[in-house]
Amino acid sequence: MGQLEVIPDHIKAALEYHEIYPSTIKLAVNADLSVDGNYCDIWIAVTGTNLVILTGAGGNDKLKLFSGFRESGGKSKNKGGGSRQNDAGWKETSFEEYPLEKVESLTVDNLASTGMLTARISGEDIAVCCFTNSHGRKVGSFVRLFEKIKQGQELTKEDFDEVQSLEYCPKCGLLYPEQDRKVCPKCIDRKSVFLRVLSFVPRYKLQLSLIILCMFLNAGFNLLFPYLSGTILFDQVLTEGGKYYGQVGMTVLVIVVARVAAQLVGIAYGRINSGMTVKVIFDLKTEIFSAMQRLSLSFYNKRQTGSLMTRINNDAEQLQSFFHDGLPYFIVNAVQIIGIAAVMFAMNWKLALLVFIPTPLIIISVKKLFPKLWKIYHRRYSKSSKLNALINDTLKGVRVVKAFGKEALEVDRFSRTNAALLNVDIGLGKLLSTMFPFLGYIMTIGSFIAWGFGGWEVVNGKISFGVLITFINYIGMLYGPLDFMTRIVDWWSGCMNSAQRIFEVIDAVPDITDAPNPVEMRDMKGNISFRSVNFSYEPNKPVLHDISFEIEAGKMLGIVGHSGAGKTTIANLINRLYDVDSGEITIDGVNVKNIALRDLRANIGVVSQETYLFMGTIAENIAYAKPGATMEEIFKAAKAAHAHDFIIKLPDGYDTVIGRGGRDLSGGERQRISIARAILYDPKILILDEATSAMDTETEGLIQDALDKLVKGRTTISIAHRLSTLRNADKLIVLDGGKIVESGTHSELIGLKGTYYRLVQKQSEALKMRGVGD
Amino acid sequence: MPDTVVKDIEQYTEINYLTSETAEFERTDGGFLSLTTKDGRKYPRVDLYRAFPFTKPREYISVREPESKEIGVKAKEIGVIRCLDDFPENIAKLIEEQLDRRYFSPMIIKINNIKEEFGYYYWDVLTDVGTCRFTVRGGHNIVPIGEDSGRILIIDVDGNRFEIKDYASLDKKSVKKLESVI
Repeated sequence: MGQLEVIPDHIKAALEYHEIYPSTIKLAVNADLSVDGNYCDIWIAVTGTNLVILTGAGGNDKLKLFSGFRESGGKSKNKGGGSRQNDAGWKETSFEEYPLEKVESLTVDNLASTGMLTARISGEDIAVCCFTNSHGRKVGSFVRLFEKIKQGQELTKEDFDEVQSLEYCPKCGLLYPEQDRKVCPKCIDRKSVFLRVLSFVPRYKLQLSLIILCMFLNAGFNLLFPYLSGTILFDQVLTEGGKYYGQVGMTVLVIVVARVAAQLVGIAYGRINSGMTVKVIFDLKTEIFSAMQRLSLSFYNKRQTGSLMTRINNDAEQLQSFFHDGLPYFIVNAVQIIGIAAVMFAMNWKLALLVFIPTPLIIISVKKLFPKLWKIYHRRYSKSSKLNALINDTLKGVRVVKAFGKEALEVDRFSRTNAALLNVDIGLGKLLSTMFPFLGYIMTIGSFIAWGFGGWEVVNGKISFGVLITFINYIGMLYGPLDFMTRIVDWWSGCMNSAQRIFEVIDAVPDITDAPNPVEMRDMKGNISFRSVNFSYEPNKPVLHDISFEIEAGKMLGIVGHSGAGKTTIANLINRLYDVDSGEITIDGVNVKNIALRDLRANIGVVSQETYLFMGTIAENIAYAKPGATMEEIFKAAKAAHAHDFIIKLPDGYDTVIGRGGRDLSGGERQRISIARAILYDPKILILDEATSAMDTETEGLIQDALDKLVKGRTTISIAHRLSTLRNADKLIVLDGGKIVESGTHSELIGLKGTYYRLVQKQSEALKMRGVGD
Repeated sequence: MPDTVVKDIEQYTEINYLTSETAEFERTDGGFLSLTTKDGRKYPRVDLYRAFPFTKPREYISVREPESKEIGVKAKEIGVIRCLDDFPENIAKLIEEQLDRRYFSPMIIKINNIKEEFGYYYWDVLTDVGTCRFTVRGGHNIVPIGEDSGRILIIDVDGNRFEIKDYASLDKKSVKKLESVI
């Protein structure tokens, strides 16, 4: 049998001391916060007869480790997974036991940022323990399974399978910081991320080899110039007795030709590189987008979609800039530094040694100063985005600002934020105007040394003037690459982070996937059945509780309830946008989890309250779900949805472009277009989720006729606030707080005089009131 | 508006302030508070909420029936405590105990270390309840609250919350470490 938690040996020992043996424990869970607000180690166990609560504290009770950390002493400093508080020095502080028959129920209360487990024992609430959110999921499962035990049911292996336990990297034992992303940030190091980015490159082998060739040529030419214009020109050409004495024209020509060749290589390299990096990033972006389409809805709920999109775009661009500017220059500069050093040492090692003395100084100052600069840039960025947000906010709310006459207040708020930006800007300006001259000065120290020492050597006749000039030129060439090298490290780690974030999306595993051998169901009949379905978006906040109902093929089910009762969630579950926590949903007797997703979605049409129309024409939008539709089909669908008349009257008719720059449609018009879309789709199962909520009563009445026609012969699930919408439903279920409180036909429910009756009464009263108002 | 409607609204919006004269709190064996009001009603367990958890932790405390699991039963507000000083010290202490439980969240006193690795920030801090080490996903999980209150909320990978009351009052080294991540 499974278990919720692995009980560590020292806890087993502590329990055995109280004569509770591991074999009798049916269920156990760990919590970590006492009711009076101290971190501790609490074990709650259910034995055959008792509920047991064992409280203790580890040896170091002043240290609390959360996910991502483990007790020090492991191989890595602090991080790592697996074990919890250390067992050395574990001390029991209290032990309580309650007979099971006296424990009426267990509940979880969500507190501000923790949770509390409460037991109702002999009619009185007992605060058992609190727990941090790290334990929330398991304590929630514990409560649910406890209920099962109370009802006399045996726990099965599946009960424990449903409990998602935290997962760890198999290689290093590190707790995955993000559970839906089975990526260990430690084992996937920057190098492998880099290699993975590079794996996009081999498709462009030819370009790559050309680029590398060009880079080496480029570096070679760069090395040649100081030598040509220094040693060769001064010592061999201009000095009497030199090898090429007097051949000035020839030498200049060689220099010019070399320059031109270098430029040509540079141009060739730039062109090839631009083409390639752009293509690599293009491939990457395509992969990201297709990965995002594959992911389940819950992925998007966890992140803000907007920020996700910009983040990925920015990340891709950063990567592009790195590949375009960073990496090639890194190679060129590395070759150059090594080349220059080699040539200088070969020419005069003493002078070369002296010249390199200030190098560490340069590296240190760059390393020290640049982070400061980045920090200020970062601060500036955050201040200016705050200012932008404020402007945006105020402009959007301009009606409210004006209505309440708060213009002065807004101006005041603006100037305060603006002043903050001003201060950062002043700081930035000051730093910039100090830092760069300072760095420039340090960089020229090497030249001073060369001028001084080299000049002296020239005077003493130890080296030639040409050598000195060559040296000075080389030094000038050295600092650019050195400066670049000190910064590339940050750039590199930044880009690898970007790449990592991109792979995060590419690697994310969708929660909802096809079963290993999905059942293909091209044509469904449309018998839907819910059996004891439980569902929650977040642990411990159940949205649906023990929902069971049946709909026969071709019948219409109406779902009624207050907002937040879980109506839309039912629709989402049938469509498998989410999977149930427990229980099952079947269509024609097959569990939806086993039906091929493609077939499932092909048989279910949804018209929801959020009508999403894509950028494109009205005709394209209607035909979205059936791309090959003929114009007649589109017309028919639009007519059925009572959309044809208003579309025809638009200046561009069915060619009207919706979306950015296009015409804005009213909410009701949009809903009618999405109904037309569903009509054209012709699904076996139709879900209408407040499909007519944005229409006036008259239009709704018209649409209702269309829907009535549409509904015939299909299984329909209709969710509506306005109860009149559901007048044709074969059966109604009334939801409250995630449970079905009533079900039956309209007249049956009226007869019950319960929740439904009250809702109907309230709505007709409201209608009467409106009538009086008129 | 008809008089009856006005009366309805008044009744609906009326705040029933609880003081030591109108309300008697007692600690239950189960670790909750029970309440007996002046009109003789007895509540075996009440839950307490702060209206302004941050700015006025000792004022405007809502005393409510516990959320019921039963359907259709909505937990009601029994009354509001205007200020804990309206109660004798020992009772105020009992109430604060309950509030501290509900609003438990470690206050960061000193930042020992923040290490960044792959977009995750590994924090090692000293809080009012001991040293805590936790992992924060980069991005929007370090939230400054309000415009210049100096209050910062930090949310770890599991959704646990940690707070910095006023970051200007932290020691210099801590501020420096904090500034490197926000």
